[in-house]
Amino acid sequence: MAEQGGRRRLLGVDVGGTFTDFLYWDGAALRLHKRPSTPDDPGRAVLEGLAERGWRPHEVVHGSTVSTNTLLTRSGARCALVTTRGFRDTLVIGRQARPELYALHPTRADPPIPDARRFEIDERVAADGSVVRALDEDEVAAVLDRVQASRAEALAVCLLFSFVNPAHERRIAEMARDRGLTVSASCDVMPEHREYERMSTTVVNAYVAPAMGRYLSRLEAGLRAGGAATGLRVMRSNGGAMSVAEASRDAVRTVLSGPAGGVVGARAAAEAAGVGQLISFDMGGTSTDVSLLPGRVLERTDFAVGGLPIRTPTVDVHTVGAGGGSIASLDAGGALRVGPESAGAAPGPAAYGRGDAPTLTDAHVVLGRLRPDRFLGGAMTLDAAAAERAVATLSDGFGRSATRTAQAIVEVANANMARALRVISVERGFDPADFALVAFGGAGPLHACDLAAELGIPQVLIPPAPGVLSAAGMLQAPVVKDAEQGMVLRIEPDATGREAALEATFARLEAEARAALRRDGYGRCRVERSADLRYAGQSHEIAVPLRSASRAAIRAALAAAHRARFGHADTGRALEVVVARVKAIARSAAPPATSAPAASGPEAARTAPQTSTVVWDRPRRTRILDRGALRRSIAGPAILTQLDTTILLPPGWRARPLASGSLRITREGRR
Amino acid sequence: MPSRSTTAGAIDPARLAVFESLAASIAEEMGATLRHTALSPNIKERADYSCAVFDAGGRLLAQAAHIPVHLGAMPESVRAVAELAPWSPGDVAILNDPFRGGTHLPDVTMVSPVFRPGRGGRRALVGYVSSRAHQADIGGMAPGSMPVAQELVQEGFIIPPVRLYRAGALVPETLALFLRNVRTPAERQGDIDAQVAAQRVGERRLAALAERFGAAGFRRAAAALLDSGERAALAGMAAIPPGAYNFEDALDDDGASDEPVPIRLRLTTSARGWDLDFTGSAGQRPGSINAVAAVTRSASYYVLRCLLPPEAPTNAGLFRPLRFTLPERSVVNAAPPVAVAAGNVETSQRIVDVVWGAIAQALPDRMPAASSGTMNNLAAGGIDPRTDEPWAYYETSGGGLGGGPDGPGLRAAHSHMTNTLNTPAEALEIAYPLRVLENSVRRGSGGAGRQRGGDGLVRRTQFLAPATVTLIGERRRRGPWGAAGGADGRAGRNRLERAGRRDRALPGKTTFQVEAGDVVRMETPGGGGWG
Repeated sequence: MAEQGGRRRLLGVDVGGTFTDFLYWDGAALRLHKRPSTPDDPGRAVLEGLAERGWRPHEVVHGSTVSTNTLLTRSGARCALVTTRGFRDTLVIGRQARPELYALHPTRADPPIPDARRFEIDERVAADGSVVRALDEDEVAAVLDRVQASRAEALAVCLLFSFVNPAHERRIAEMARDRGLTVSASCDVMPEHREYERMSTTVVNAYVAPAMGRYLSRLEAGLRAGGAATGLRVMRSNGGAMSVAEASRDAVRTVLSGPAGGVVGARAAAEAAGVGQLISFDMGGTSTDVSLLPGRVLERTDFAVGGLPIRTPTVDVHTVGAGGGSIASLDAGGALRVGPESAGAAPGPAAYGRGDAPTLTDAHVVLGRLRPDRFLGGAMTLDAAAAERAVATLSDGFGRSATRTAQAIVEVANANMARALRVISVERGFDPADFALVAFGGAGPLHACDLAAELGIPQVLIPPAPGVLSAAGMLQAPVVKDAEQGMVLRIEPDATGREAALEATFARLEAEARAALRRDGYGRCRVERSADLRYAGQSHEIAVPLRSASRAAIRAALAAAHRARFGHADTGRALEVVVARVKAIARSAAPPATSAPAASGPEAARTAPQTSTVVWDRPRRTRILDRGALRRSIAGPAILTQLDTTILLPPGWRARPLASGSLRITREGRR
Repeated sequence: MPSRSTTAGAIDPARLAVFESLAASIAEEMGATLRHTALSPNIKERADYSCAVFDAGGRLLAQAAHIPVHLGAMPESVRAVAELAPWSPGDVAILNDPFRGGTHLPDVTMVSPVFRPGRGGRRALVGYVSSRAHQADIGGMAPGSMPVAQELVQEGFIIPPVRLYRAGALVPETLALFLRNVRTPAERQGDIDAQVAAQRVGERRLAALAERFGAAGFRRAAAALLDSGERAALAGMAAIPPGAYNFEDALDDDGASDEPVPIRLRLTTSARGWDLDFTGSAGQRPGSINAVAAVTRSASYYVLRCLLPPEAPTNAGLFRPLRFTLPERSVVNAAPPVAVAAGNVETSQRIVDVVWGAIAQALPDRMPAASSGTMNNLAAGGIDPRTDEPWAYYETSGGGLGGGPDGPGLRAAHSHMTNTLNTPAEALEIAYPLRVLENSVRRGSGGAGRQRGGDGLVRRTQFLAPATVTLIGERRRRGPWGAAGGADGRAGRNRLERAGRRDRALPGKTTFQVEAGDVVRMETPGGGGWG
C-alpha cells in the first residue's frame, strides 16, 4: 500500500500513557527508541526524544492520546450546545440506562456541557426531511447572543433529523461562525440517525478540538525549531493518517489513534510474512486490545470514551482489563480472579520491588519464564523473591505451592483473554483456525502460544519489534479521508435497476474526499465505497463494501454479510441503506515493510545463551537465548528475550525466523 | 461456610474461574446473536431480553446480565418445560404462560435441552439453554399487549409450554397458531427466528463445554460454581446485623379501582441467610398488578445482588440462602385467572422498595432512598397512514434515583428491575407515525435532603394518526420515599394535550383513544432524598 521511503527520513511516534515509542527510518535502516511520556505536555517527550537521538525526520506520523485524555480528565474546551426545542437534555438522559445493572448507588459522569450552556431553538424537521417548523433567524441571533454571553469557546450544533435535511443546522452554524465562534455541526461531524449518539459525537468533537489544535501547532513549531522539516500527520482512529488541519478540526476522529497504529502495524507485519487473515493481540501492562482482520481492517462505529458514545469509525478493537500488571486475588465465592485491577506502572508488579500485590508478571517470574537478569534487555532487574512472596499469599487453594498458584494465575488470565478473542471471532461467525495470531505489546508474546492452542489458531507471528508495533503501524499508515452520509433509502425485494440517489451521494462524497486529500498535497488516491445496510425493520446495520449501486448488488452484499455473521439472511424482505461511506486512500512514503529495526546503542549488547529450569506443564530444562541471535528454527521449550519483550515457546511448538523479520511459531509436526 | 459444599475443593479456584467464564460467555454469545438478528426495536434498541445456561437439574449456571426481572423467572421456565420430556436433540420449547414458567405474556421464552454424545450412541442430557425476549405485541385487547385488563386471557395470546422445534425440525402448526394471534406477524416471525438462532448458538456452545470437561468433570465444575455463588451470598449477608426487619409500601391502585395495594415484608436475616415473609400483603386483584412468585423472587434476588461485589457470579447458588413465605393467591404470588402484565413491570419495583426498605433499617448508613419505583410504560398502536400497515410500539421511561450516603441520585435513568434503553426519537419517528416533542429532565422533582433525589423525566409524544394508547405507571399518588430524614420525590403524572382544549389529567393506568395531533405528556417521579 505504501511507497518505499527511499532517502526520506520518516518517524512513527506513539505517545502512550507511560512510554513514548519512536521508530525512525533514516533512509537506510530502522531504529527504535523508547522514553517516559510527559503527560503534562505530551509533545515534550517527542521533541526531547528526537533531540536525544539527533534525529531530524522529513515526515512524522503521530499517534496521540490527547483527545482521549482530554475527555477522560474532562479538561476540554468550554462548550455550548444548540439543539432542537425539547431536546437540550438529550445529553444528560442519553439512552436512560445506568452503567451498572447491580449497584446500590449507580453513578454516571456529568455531560461535558452543563445545563446552563445547552440552548434550544424552536424549529423542527420531520423524518422525511420536510420542515415542520421553519427556522426563525431572529431567534437564532438571540440564542447566539446567549451563547456568547456564556463565554463558550466552542459550539456544538445538533438538530433533529439534520442528517436528512441539514439546512437549519447549516444556517445556525454559518451565523455562529460569522460571529467568530468555533463550530462543530452534527451534519458535518457525523451525519447519521440516532440523536443522542450524533449529539454526543459532535459535542466530543467541539470539546476536544481546541486542545488538539493547540497541541498540534505547538508540536509542529517544536519540530521545525528542532530542524525537522515537517509533514506532521496524525493517526486516525480507523487506521489511516490525517493532516494537522483535519485533525484539529475533526479531533473526534483521533480517539483510538494508538490502538489503530497497532492494528495497522500487525497487518503490515502479517502481510510481509505472507499472511492475509490475522487476529492482532496487543497485551500491555493494564489491558489487552484484540482485533480481527479477515483480509482487511474491520471498523466499528459504536465506541465510547468516558461514557460518551462516539460514532465516527474506529478500528474494531475489543479491550479487556488483563495485562502484565493485573492483580490476582481470591473472591468471596472462592474463585481466583486476575484483574481488572492493575498494579500499573506504579507501584507495578511485586517483582519491580515497589508493590506487594501478586500480578500476572509475578506469576511468570515464579515460573522462571521472565528472567530477572534479562528483563527489558537487562535494563531492569526483577526481584524473584518478592514475586514468590506475593504469589504465595494466594497458595491456600493450591496445596500451598507457589508454583501451582502461579500456573493457576496464568490459566485464569488466559481464560479472560480467550473470552475476548472468542467475542471477536466465533461470536461473529469466524473460525479462528483460519487466522494467524499476531502477538505484540510487552506481554503479548508471553501468552500467544497458550491462546492459540486454546482457540485452535494454527500459527503465531511475533513482529520484529513487538514493543513498538503501534509506532511501526504509524510509519506504514496510508493517508486517508473518510466521508459519510446518513439516509433511509428503502429497496424492495423485487426492485431492479440502480439506486440513483445512492449513486449521487457516493459521487458527492467521493468528490469531497478527493478534494480534501488534494488540499493536503495528495493528488492521487483510490476510493473505497461501503454502506451500512439492514433489513427493513431491523435497527442495527452491517457495514458492507459496495462496488455498485445496483439494487441487485446491494441485496446480494447484505445477504452475504448477514449470512456470514448470523447464519441466515432473509432475501425476501425489503432492505434499507442507512449510511453511505467513502474512504479515499493515498499512498505515503513508508519504509519497506520487511525492514527489521536495527538495535543501536546499549540494547545492541547480546546476552549469551543459557539453559535453566522453567515451569511449563511441569518443570523442564529450557534454552534461553537472545531473539536477535536466532538464525534457524528452534523447538520448544525455549525462551527468546529481546529489548522490548519476552517470547515463550512452549513444548510442542517450533519457532522459525522469517525474512520479513517476524518469527513464525507453529505446532510441532504441522506446517 | 456453606452447608452443602460436598464437592467444594474437588476443583481448584482457577478451574472454577475458567468454568464460570466459559459458562458466562455462552449466555453472552446467545445475547449478542439475539440482539443482532432480532427485528423489533424493543429487542434491538432497548435490549429487553435475557439469556441463561442451566445444568441438567435445571439449576441456573450463568445469565447474561440485562434485565433483573428475568433473574428468578428463567429457572421457572426450565422447570415448566419438564412436562414435555422425553427430549430429542434439536427440540426447542416455547412458552409465555405466566403461571407456567413465564412472567407476563410479552416475554416469550424458549428453552432447549442440550446433549452430548454418550456411550454406545446414546446421548446424555447435560443441561439447558434459554432465552427470553419482550416481544412488542402478543395480541390481546390493546396494541403492545400491556392493556389495563382484568383477566390474563385479555392480555394476549397465551402459550403453554409446547414444542416449536422437534428434533431440529420446525413444528409449523405451533408457529402458525402463534402468528395468527398477534398484530404484527412479520415482526414476530423475525424475532422468533432471532431467538431460535440464539438457542442454536447456546446449544452448540454448551455441548462443547460439556465435551471439554467430560460428564463427571462438568457436574463437578457446575456444583463447585453453585457452591461459590452460595459462599459469595453468605459473605455479603454476614455484613448485615442479624435481626427481624419489617417494612410496608403500597401500589397506588390496581387500575380497576382506586384502592391502594399494600405489600408487607418481615425480613429475618442471619449469617445463614434471609427469611422473607410476605404475609399480610394484599390478595390478588382484578387489575393487572398481580405478580407471579417468580417476579417476587427476582426482585428479592436483585436487592441481594446489589449488596454483593460486582464480580460475584449470577447463578442458582447465589440464591440458595433465600427462603420465601408467599401467601397464596396474593399480589406477590398470583394464581390463575388474573391479569399480570403490570405485576412484572410495576409490582416488581414495589417489591424491591419493600426489601430495600427492610434492609435500610439494618444498614441505614449504606442504603439510598427509594428510586422512581415504576417503569412508566406506554404502549400504543393503530394503522400507519404512510403504509396502511398496523403498527405496535412499546416504551418504558426512567425517572429519578434515590439519593444516598454516597451522593445525590442519578437523574432521568432506569432503576432497579429494568435497564432497557429508550428508543431514539429519530429511530421512532422513522418507524412509527409519532413525533417526540420533548424528552427532558423534570427539574425539581427529586426529593430534598443532604443528598437530593435524582430528577425524573418529561416526555411528550405526539400521535400523527389515531391510535389506541395504554399507560401503566405507578407512584402517581405518592412519590418515592426519602430516607434518613430526606424528603419524598415528586409523584409522576400523565396529561393529554389536545389542540384547542384544556389539558386533561390521565390516570396512572389507563387505555384510551387519541386523534391525530394529540400529545401524551408523561412526567415521571423523582427519587427520594437522603439525610
